[in-house]
Amino acid sequence: MQRHAVRSKASPDQNAPVVSGSGVGKTFASGTVIALEDAGFSVPKGRFNSLVGPSGCGKSTLLRLISGLIEPTSGSLQVHGEEVTKPRQDVAMMFQRATLLEWRTAIENVLLPSEIGGRVTSEDRTRAMELLKLVGLGDFAFSFPAQLSGGMQQRVALARLLQTGADVLLLDEPFGALDEFTRERLNVELLRIVTEIEATTIFVTHNIAEAIFLADEVYVMTPRPGRIAKIIDVPFDRPRELSIQTSPEFNHLVEEARDILGAH
Amino acid sequence: MKTPFAGHALSLTRLLPHLALFGTLILAWEIAVRTGLIQSIMVPKPSTIFAAIVELYFVKGTIWYHFFVTLTEAVAGFIIGAAIAIALAVGSSLSDAFRRYVSPYAVVLNVTPGIALTPVIIAWFGFGMGSKIALAAVISFFPIFVNTLTGLTQTDTDREELFRSIGASRVQIFTRLRVPAALPLLFAGLKIGLTTALIGAVVAEFAQATEGVGVLMSRFSFQLNMGASIASLLSMTLIGLILFYSMEFLDDRMVFWRREERREAVSRKRARAWKRRG
Repeated sequence: MQRHAVRSKASPDQNAPVVSGSGVGKTFASGTVIALEDAGFSVPKGRFNSLVGPSGCGKSTLLRLISGLIEPTSGSLQVHGEEVTKPRQDVAMMFQRATLLEWRTAIENVLLPSEIGGRVTSEDRTRAMELLKLVGLGDFAFSFPAQLSGGMQQRVALARLLQTGADVLLLDEPFGALDEFTRERLNVELLRIVTEIEATTIFVTHNIAEAIFLADEVYVMTPRPGRIAKIIDVPFDRPRELSIQTSPEFNHLVEEARDILGAH
Repeated sequence: MKTPFAGHALSLTRLLPHLALFGTLILAWEIAVRTGLIQSIMVPKPSTIFAAIVELYFVKGTIWYHFFVTLTEAVAGFIIGAAIAIALAVGSSLSDAFRRYVSPYAVVLNVTPGIALTPVIIAWFGFGMGSKIALAAVISFFPIFVNTLTGLTQTDTDREELFRSIGASRVQIFTRLRVPAALPLLFAGLKIGLTTALIGAVVAEFAQATEGVGVLMSRFSFQLNMGASIASLLSMTLIGLILFYSMEFLDDRMVFWRREERREAVSRKRARAWKRRG
């Protein structure tokens, strides 16, 4: 199976959404908890969207629905114009924990998606090595996860995410467990990389500033029941510098999001 | 940089106090028996034991035949017990229904003292090595079964979701995630199982047998030849040590990612293999 060729499936129309949903809802069978209600959204190609909100607002649920790991109880969800029913090859996911396999070296971890997809070719191996260099871990290709710091482990996970060749990237608080400095640095790098490969990205976080710094569009989500309360447009161009976070415009956006979350 | 010599000298200085303590204990024991503080008919002098060791192991060499009989019984029993335990644990981890049917028997087998089965097993399998192997297999089964099953069923939701998100099949999740993740616990079980297998073999020999270290030891005890009896006991210790450390070695090789030096060695090896591939 070739994973890198998936992109061609995308609609030729540049404005057609890559990921879209209407009336998407999820109620977990275990109880009457409505994890997500009536979510409608549309993400065009190459856009970076953040989902921000407190725990229980349904942001991780929405991400898992898009990934095809769980199925919605109502509404419809599409990736590249196709209804999502199971995990797709053109959608890849990254988690808060690095979820590396500790018995595999960094490069072997990056190669996992290729291995699951079929036989590992020499192109797969070359690509994996390039991706490790891209995330700044060229010298650590043969280190085991236990020999790497938390930040480095997440870089390996990022390289593994890119190795899938997917053009839709779903990130669930990927740097949430790291210290502030490492997280900021990785955010800047992430933004650079997804811009370069023109990936359509959906990023879950509970940090308002982080959500705004990264995204073209921020979905502010509120709990009980989980729903998208407001969509905020972020006008900054990419590439972005960390310094934009001190601009009045940025702070205005932060306040706007905070108001929605506070009012709830 | 540490030279091998420096390392050697270091371990010698560490070893010295232990040797001194051991020597003192042996000396005190020798004196206690010689002065009549302890009856020599019940507890032999260390020098008597030493003489018996020289005779049994080196002069006549009678111990070796029995040594290998017991070693074979323990290892064969362990292999059979481990094979059944691992097969049932894999089955139980894959199917809840299978587990529901198997686990009551496993629990009953565990709470029944395995050693108490000795007379029954000897009646079934006879006086030869068969009954020793069977008892070793029966009592080594449970620790291996429980550890393997626990290892295989421990769930890491995030990793499982990762595997599912990249389109992994159930078989791939099992072979690439669950099995390697279960290895540390599997080996913990195997180490316990191997030691219990030796207990099984020796107890069955005590009960009814014509060969093996257990037979030799009880024969010497009946003759009140305590020196030779304890010399035979030491060969069981030797078997136990050989078994334990071979499993420890295997554990260290297979579960290499647990220990730093091994991790680094494997890391270098994989780097070389990658370069050779070009």
